Amino acid sequence: MPISDVALLQKRAGLYIRQTKCREALLLLDQAIRLDPKDATSWYLRASAKIEMERFAEAVADCEQAIAINQNYADAWSKKGLALYNLGQYQPALVAATRAVSLNANDASAWYIRGICLEEMGKSDEAEIAYAKSLELEIILDIKDESKRIRK
Amino acid sequence: MKTNMPLSKPIRRFISETERMLDTEITLLRKPDAAPGGTLVDVYTYNIDKNIIIFPANYIGLLKDFVIAKQCTHLFIKGAAAKKSGYKICSFTSDSVYTGMRQIYLDALKDEVKKEKKLPVKKLLEMLFILYRQFHEDINELPWNPIVNARVYYRMPQLRKTQLYILLKDGKQDMDEMEDMMDIVPRRYFVLDKSMFYARDLYLSKTLPSDKLTPVVNIPQMKKFDHLEVKEMLTTRWTHTAWYQSKVFGDNMLTIMEKHLNVDWSGDATLDYYATLYETGVSLTNALLAFMSMKDWFIWEKPKHLLAAQEQMAIYEQDALKKIFGDLIEDT
Repeated sequence: MPISDVALLQKRAGLYIRQTKCREALLLLDQAIRLDPKDATSWYLRASAKIEMERFAEAVADCEQAIAINQNYADAWSKKGLALYNLGQYQPALVAATRAVSLNANDASAWYIRGICLEEMGKSDEAEIAYAKSLELEIILDIKDESKRIRK
Repeated sequence: MKTNMPLSKPIRRFISETERMLDTEITLLRKPDAAPGGTLVDVYTYNIDKNIIIFPANYIGLLKDFVIAKQCTHLFIKGAAAKKSGYKICSFTSDSVYTGMRQIYLDALKDEVKKEKKLPVKKLLEMLFILYRQFHEDINELPWNPIVNARVYYRMPQLRKTQLYILLKDGKQDMDEMEDMMDIVPRRYFVLDKSMFYARDLYLSKTLPSDKLTPVVNIPQMKKFDHLEVKEMLTTRWTHTAWYQSKVFGDNMLTIMEKHLNVDWSGDATLDYYATLYETGVSLTNALLAFMSMKDWFIWEKPKHLLAAQEQMAIYEQDALKKIFGDLIEDT
C-alpha cells in the first residue's frame, strides 16, 4: 500500500473512533504507522483509540511519538494531558494541558483537563478560571451545533 | 462507577455517594445521538442490572458534568423511593386513556366550532392520543425538573454557570415545542402545556436567583442578556410572549409549585432526604393534575405497569376511539 493511502487509513480510523469501534481503528492505525512512521496524525489517532480502550500508558507513549514529530501538535498535547490525568499523574497532565491551550486557546477539552488537574492539586481558584474558559468554549460549540441542527 | 472519562471532583464524589447509598452501579455512556439533556436508564424503571447515564458525545466538560449531576440526582430520588416507600410513576390503563381522550375530544369540538379552517377528521382522531401521550410524558417529567435543578443548584455550586446555560436552552426548546401545532391542538391544552413550562421557569428563576450570567455573557450570542440575572432573564422571556393565557394559568401553577416545593434544598444526602424529595414530586404531580382537571387521566403504578401499558398503547387507543365514536370507527 503506498504512503498516500495513509490519509485514507487515518480518515477511516477516525470514523471508527467516533463510533467507539476502537479495535477496528487500531488495526488501521497500526498499518498507517508501519507505512509512514513519521506521520504524527497516525500516532495521535492511535493514542485517541487507546484512551477509549483505557490503555492510558500506551496512549501517553503514542502522544509522545506524535509530539516528537511535531512539537506544536496541540491535539496531541491535549490527549497526552487526558491520558496522564487518567493515570492519576496530575502534575504532568497539567503541564501537557497547559501546553495544549497555549498552542490552541480554543480547545475546550484541554481547558477542562487543566481545570480538573488544578482541582485535584487543591488550586481551586485557578481551576475555576480554567473551567470558566472551558465552559465558554463548550457553549459556543453547542450553539453552533444547535444552529446546524435547526438548519437541517 | 465504570468510566474512563475525566470528571470534576464534585461529580465523581456525588456518583460514588449515590452508588454507595443505593448499593448500585452507575455506568456513564457517551453517545453522538444522545438527547441534549441526557437519558437515565435505571434499575428502578427497567429490568436491567446497572444504571446507565447517557449524554451527548459533544459534551466534554462541564456540560457533561451537569447532565450527569442532573440524571444522578434523579436516580438518587428514584432509588431512595424504591428503598423506602416504593417507587411509582404515572401510568395508564385502557379506562384512563379513554377518560383522557374523551375529554380532549369534547374540548376539541368546542374549538372546532370557532375555527374557520376545520381540522380533517382523520387528523382530529390522531391528535387525541398524541395529545394524551404528550401530557403523560410531560407530567412524568416536568414536576421532577424543578426538584432536580434546585437540588443540583444547592448541592453543586460549581455547576451553577453551566446550569444557567442549560436552563436557558431547555426553556427555549420547551417554549418552541408544540408551536407548529398551535392551530391544531385545542387551545386549552396548548395553554396548559405552555403554562407548566412557564411555571417551572418562573419557579426556578425565584429559587436560583443569585448567580450572574458570567461567563455566559462573554459569548456573542448571549450578549443581549448582559447585566441580567437568571430571574430577569427567564421572566423577561415569558412576559415578552403573546401567550397571555399561558401566563395567567402559569401564575396559578407557580403558586401550586411554591406551595408544594417547600423543601430545604441543601439537606444532607441521606436516603430519607431523597425519599422526601420523591414524595414532594408526587404531591406536586397530583396537584398539577388536579389543577388541569386530569386527575383520572393517569394512575400511580410501579414502572413495570407502565412498560406493559406502553406495549398495549395501540390497543388502548383503538378501544378508546371505539368507545367514543361507536360504530363510526372501523377496526384497523
